[in-house]
Amino acid sequence: MLLEVNDVSLSLRRDGKYSKILDHVSFQVNKGETVGIVGESGCGKSMTALSLMRLLPDKAKLEGSVELQGEKITNYSKRKLEKVRGNQMSMIFQNPLTSLNPLQTVGTQIEESLILHTNMSKKERRVRVLKLLNDVGLPRVEELIDEYPHQLSGGMRQRIMIAIAMACEPQLLICDEPTTALDVTVQAQILELMNEIKEQTQMGIIMITHDMGVVAEVCDRVIVMYAGKVVEEAPVVELFQNPKHPYTRGLLNSIPKLGQRKQKLGSIPGTVPVPENMPVGCRFADRCSHVMDICKSTVPQVTEIKENHQTACWLYDEEGGNKDATTGSNQSQTTLHY
Amino acid sequence: MPLLEVTNLKQHFTTKKGFLSEKTIIKAVDGVSISIEEGKTLGIVGESGCGKSSLGRSVLQLVEPTEGSVKFKGEEVIGMNAAQMKELRKEMQIVFQDPYASLNPRNTVRQILEAPLIIHNVGSRAERKEIVESLMDKIGLRKEQLRNYPHEFSGGQRQRIGIARALTLNPKLIIADEPVSALDVSVQSQVLNLMLDLQQEMDLSYMFISHDLSVVQHISDRVAVMYLGKVVEIADVEQLYNHPMHPYTQALLSALPIPDPTKKRDRIILQGDLPSPANPPSGCPFHTRCPIATKECAEIVPNLEEKSTNHLAACIHV
Ligand SMILES: Nc1ncnc2c1ncn2[C@@H]1O[C@H](COP(=O)(O)OP(=O)(O)OP(=O)(O)O)[C@@H](O)[C@H]1O
Ligand SMILES: Nc1ncnc2c1ncn2[C@@H]1O[C@H](COP(=O)(O)OP(=O)(O)OP(=O)(O)O)[C@@H](O)[C@H]1O
Ligand SMILES: [Mg+2]
Ligand SMILES: [Mg+2]
Repeated sequence: MLLEVNDVSLSLRRDGKYSKILDHVSFQVNKGETVGIVGESGCGKSMTALSLMRLLPDKAKLEGSVELQGEKITNYSKRKLEKVRGNQMSMIFQNPLTSLNPLQTVGTQIEESLILHTNMSKKERRVRVLKLLNDVGLPRVEELIDEYPHQLSGGMRQRIMIAIAMACEPQLLICDEPTTALDVTVQAQILELMNEIKEQTQMGIIMITHDMGVVAEVCDRVIVMYAGKVVEEAPVVELFQNPKHPYTRGLLNSIPKLGQRKQKLGSIPGTVPVPENMPVGCRFADRCSHVMDICKSTVPQVTEIKENHQTACWLYDEEGGNKDATTGSNQSQTTLHY
Repeated sequence: MPLLEVTNLKQHFTTKKGFLSEKTIIKAVDGVSISIEEGKTLGIVGESGCGKSSLGRSVLQLVEPTEGSVKFKGEEVIGMNAAQMKELRKEMQIVFQDPYASLNPRNTVRQILEAPLIIHNVGSRAERKEIVESLMDKIGLRKEQLRNYPHEFSGGQRQRIGIARALTLNPKLIIADEPVSALDVSVQSQVLNLMLDLQQEMDLSYMFISHDLSVVQHISDRVAVMYLGKVVEIADVEQLYNHPMHPYTQALLSALPIPDPTKKRDRIILQGDLPSPANPPSGCPFHTRCPIATKECAEIVPNLEEKSTNHLAACIHV
């Protein structure tokens, strides 16, 4: 096991009060595995990633444990954590323009973590930076190394972000919407590159995305988040073919599929609740077409559907009484709203 | 006769980088010809900066086109006087990408929806009230919500209000510029369903601009693919998605991630990024990234020609 996240909860200060942003988030990532995190905007995907890196806003309260290769990094001091960040674990952010420093050359920015984490000489570092630029498929690397980010296209900047993240050959790479800001043809290049890197290095990848197409193409396992909680987890094929949680089904039913032109799409009425106003029972209850009384009062526990497939929904809970879970396939659950 | 007929439309912008520096001309739209039939949807796809929004804006005369012709119901739109334009605006409306920015935060939904009616002197007070309430019904909101402000609605609801506003004057054509791009899929589908229902009900025509190929496929009857200000391929939607001819369309479609993990397919991975529209390549604009480009492609500007019935492509190799 590469990464083990156990019961991570996060509270942030908003308008002078603490609100719970993440609630007992647990999952694992194995070596050589890509785990997707999906969910609507505001579900806590980025906050989950930032909690792992402990790159959180001031006064954040973080609970639970995160173990990287058996080491409990949640207990680490700031100093000690800095040694992990960028070294064993690195992150690629959504917006490649704002996350690069406009005043430093490409080379300097990639070199930074080599200075921090290795004893390489200046010469060795230059060789390594050139190799990294080559590896991420950038052209004319000898010149590029001395150029500034604003001279480069969005796709090139994202490749540089990947080169920075890969500089110290991390075991875990966290990608927060790495291709959302890019055009599809460039997205295809980047996803291809990431798959190549994964095959060569056997690192674990966390892929945060709202694009179910990207999930289907690059992930081995998927975690579905809703309002700060994990509501379903399954291997990728299982999740697409046999989704259980009504939220997961809703998400999958709402994507337009090639060859189903002008057909009614499923949708999910309402919006993600805000942290200040979380429902007491299941957080999805007020948007759920299968809602039962118990859902409104009591939080559903994680239930095993089969090996590696879990969901937190009363429909599948033995104690939950009403087991109409098996009625209705994925398709028949489509509800139309607007 | 098509409802909208655009011929050889050009929208060039002149920009100056710094004081005293040379002027550059950006050919955002460079000789586009398209048409839209009544009750039908033309999808416009292409990557960022290819000129989709500029095309929509110049069709609506929100910017003055550099050259070309735009005919609405057979009548030339370019050069119309203010009074004629005002009449035209009733029939041609726009829906923008950002539901947050496009609604005035200080007005209630009632004020937002009533404004176009007041500007165009439509109906009595009571009639306007009726129109506005029936619009709310059409977009699936309650009439009590008319007194709410935009910030009190979700993103999808706001976009539905944006659509309702475009519908107030009973238009024939709606130009929708990335109307669902800012929305989560779960909400995007509500807006797409609504647009399809309204089209049926009101016999609307859409020009649906989006960079999302699966959304465009879902809603369109015919699709035009743009690259650096030019239409490189145009065909009926099934034909285009099943038998793309232009190498760019082929690459674009093969790059689209399919939400089905059991389907693995061969990708055409293009080299490099989109060239700058300020400095487009010679000959075929796509030749610098094209996997089948030959020497001639750098020299000959390919015409958009009918390669099979109703299927046009601009490539000398197909
Ligand atoms: N700096 C912050 N202070 C307080 N609350 C925050 C802060 N940043 C985010 N939040 C809140 O935390 C919750 C989770 O946000 P997060 O950014 O993790 O969502 P996400 O799933 O990544 O969404 P998106 O798809 O839009 O990126 C949201 O309710 C958000 O409003
Ligand atoms: N008012 C303007 N002045 C100068 N250049 C402009 C102007 N409007 C657009 N452009 C340029 O014209 C080109 C086409 O822009 P346009 O916004 O039409 O593209 P688009 O296809 O809508 O892109 P996106 O998918 O990013 O919305 C771009 O290079 C853009 O920078
Ligand atoms: Mg995020
Ligand atoms: Mg645009």
